[in-house]
Amino acid sequence: MKEVVKAEEGEVFDIELEADILKANEKLATENRELLRKHGVQAIDVMGAIGSGKTSLIEKLVQELKEKYRMAAFKGDLTTTIDAELIARHGVEVVPINTGKECHLDANLVRKALQRLDLNSLDLLFIENVGNLICPAEFPLGSEKRVVVISVTEGPYMVVKHPFIFMNTDVVVINKVDLAQAMRVDVRKLEADVKRINPNARVAVTNCRSGEGVGKVVKALGL
Amino acid sequence: MHEYSMTSQIVESVLEEAKKHNAKKVDGVHLVIGKLTFLGLEQVRFAYEILVKNTIMEGSKLHIEEKDGVVKCSKCSYEGDVKYEDDPTYHIPTPTLHCSKCGGVVEIVGGKECLIKSAKIIV
Repeated sequence: MKEVVKAEEGEVFDIELEADILKANEKLATENRELLRKHGVQAIDVMGAIGSGKTSLIEKLVQELKEKYRMAAFKGDLTTTIDAELIARHGVEVVPINTGKECHLDANLVRKALQRLDLNSLDLLFIENVGNLICPAEFPLGSEKRVVVISVTEGPYMVVKHPFIFMNTDVVVINKVDLAQAMRVDVRKLEADVKRINPNARVAVTNCRSGEGVGKVVKALGL
Repeated sequence: MHEYSMTSQIVESVLEEAKKHNAKKVDGVHLVIGKLTFLGLEQVRFAYEILVKNTIMEGSKLHIEEKDGVVKCSKCSYEGDVKYEDDPTYHIPTPTLHCSKCGGVVEIVGGKECLIKSAKIIV
């Protein structure tokens, strides 16, 4: 037998890693989705701008759908459980997820939160992400459908300024329509901006305080 | 926005792999980043410089290979480049989900990678 070939001191090697950091999250997301499907639970992501009305939308959806489905919600925020409590007062289970400093939820955090729920007693799960129109779109969590919420109080350019998140969504909610005139925002223009990027996205115009338009969100989600 | 945490995972993975090979030093890292990710390359490079300090990766060369987005149309079965919106209000070309061939709706099939392809180590 020939002598064993060994690396000499100071020798340079190329090592293959082929490790995809985003794929690792995607794999966990697929596992979450499979777990949810196994228990017959449909998860819906609610992403969107800070203060656009993500929590108000979930509150209204819970009220509207509570005779039809057994629901729960995850509420992502950097700190506090303020919004989680708002949703919980409608009688649904809420798991708050505090990310500390991170700008988005990821599939690992959702996996941990899923362990806190009895999935057999659920049909529908809302996953409210951290208020952010950039990062959440990069990290799938395991949901079946994705909603992005924006509102007229953020001005007329929310879609054109954050085009990427709208590529990754099924439904876009334009909230606070009652303030559109005061804000001088043309809601139709915002809607056209969405369609320009993602012709498949369904758009619903709402006032989540009064409940106006929430029925359209329900329909767009096929619920 | 999440470049720092992503780069931190990259550095950790490379350090772990280098340890397995008893490396004394890491000389270079080759990343593949898709153009349809939300990662700013300048921020990745900036975070990398900070994160490798006081590790065996300090001073290593970071090579980033950018990968174009690939889309597939369900209507005309076109597979290829993304159609970009060239509206001057965007200032940077914005990818859309319109098929560049038939105008139908496409699905993204490539360009979302954040891959550590390889690393050059010194043992």
